[in-house]
Amino acid sequence: MTEHVVEDLELYAVGALPPVETQRVAVHLAGCPACRAEAEELAAVVSALPETLDEREPPAALGARILATARADLRRPAASAIPLVARGRTPWRPRLGRAWLPMGALAAAVILLVVIDLDAARELRNAAAERDEYAGVVTRLSEGGRWWYMAGKDDFAGAGGTLIVPRRDGQAFVLFHDLKPLEPQARLTVWLVSADGQRWVRGASVTPNGKETQVVYIEPQVAGFDRCAVTLESGDPPSRRIIMESRISTN
Amino acid sequence: MSADPNAADHALMTALAAQDLSALAVLYDRYGRLAYALAYRILGEAEAAEDVVHDAFISAWRGAATYRHERGNPRGWLLSIVHHRAVDVLRRKTAFRPAPLEAAEHRRADEDTAAQAERNVEHQGVRAALEALPPAQRRTIELAYFGGYTHVELAGIMGVPLGTVKGRMRIGLQKLRRALEGSRA
Repeated sequence: MTEHVVEDLELYAVGALPPVETQRVAVHLAGCPACRAEAEELAAVVSALPETLDEREPPAALGARILATARADLRRPAASAIPLVARGRTPWRPRLGRAWLPMGALAAAVILLVVIDLDAARELRNAAAERDEYAGVVTRLSEGGRWWYMAGKDDFAGAGGTLIVPRRDGQAFVLFHDLKPLEPQARLTVWLVSADGQRWVRGASVTPNGKETQVVYIEPQVAGFDRCAVTLESGDPPSRRIIMESRISTN
Repeated sequence: MSADPNAADHALMTALAAQDLSALAVLYDRYGRLAYALAYRILGEAEAAEDVVHDAFISAWRGAATYRHERGNPRGWLLSIVHHRAVDVLRRKTAFRPAPLEAAEHRRADEDTAAQAERNVEHQGVRAALEALPPAQRRTIELAYFGGYTHVELAGIMGVPLGTVKGRMRIGLQKLRRALEGSRA
């Protein structure tokens, strides 16, 4: 774990740290319950500051504009429902063992809750809470920029990673969580994927370090890509399979 | 009517996560004015504030499934999104930002309708706590939160060392914390 960040928590809470330091604190908070608890207390205090303002009537059309955007979201097919790999020849194309299931993590949680016992359900809730904590960190780190969450699947279920492109002067990176150790010789690769699935560019290679969260920086420019994925390369003869892929993009 | 507004908000977030448009409408009715006031206070212009509030509510709509109630109430979560986006816009837009204290004093008088006054009653505790702080601490907090200044910029504006900015921020927020805990006990 990185050094504790208690000295910076007040500045972090009011948003007065520059991006690099904000990132450093947020990454630490993701893996440090003690600092996180203090940060949450401070966040609650800071969230009261808007109450010092008089409420202000927004433009009359704003509510309708928000609802129209949300309604358009509902009409748009979910990214996860789009086949990851389009047909056709590509320099390298991962093989999918089965059709991609358009099932989000929450849907999975609901289904699992029906069939597992209470202890497991409690563990699942805890896991969901950790995931949501992670999502909060991602929102903070993205600084209003773009991000894609990649949910782990099959034997990597429960792990995940978010490709973050900070809006301000930041290099793109992936914040992984819950990566499990790999066999010797095995490695993970982050891929940037074009919207049509035709173009795959290697973003970074990853060797899990065994910590709850892990940051991996992306070398290529992310502009021009709309999705991302992580593959596992292992075995003899070597094989590749997709273990994570993006389904959410925000901007 | 729910006795606990937080419980009602949490139910709202559950509906929002299920992509219920009516929940989004209720969330906007409940917090749209405050969100807009915050964005306007930070940005000082209507059009930019409108865009920020739009983006923040859409972000909440798309990210509702990631909301975790143990971490804070939906109101705080939503306002943190508004704040973050507004400050981001502000920092990208201009290197010069007017000190928000004077601007805020200026705006307050012409908005005192009866309904506004009623809503403001519940906000008096926070206002009183903030106004009870020594001016240097209050100004440090307000310039950072409403002005979007970093601690380095604050040190330059206020003509004090970085350590002093950190100290004022720490002591000021701790006092606010105790005051708010006291008023809500």
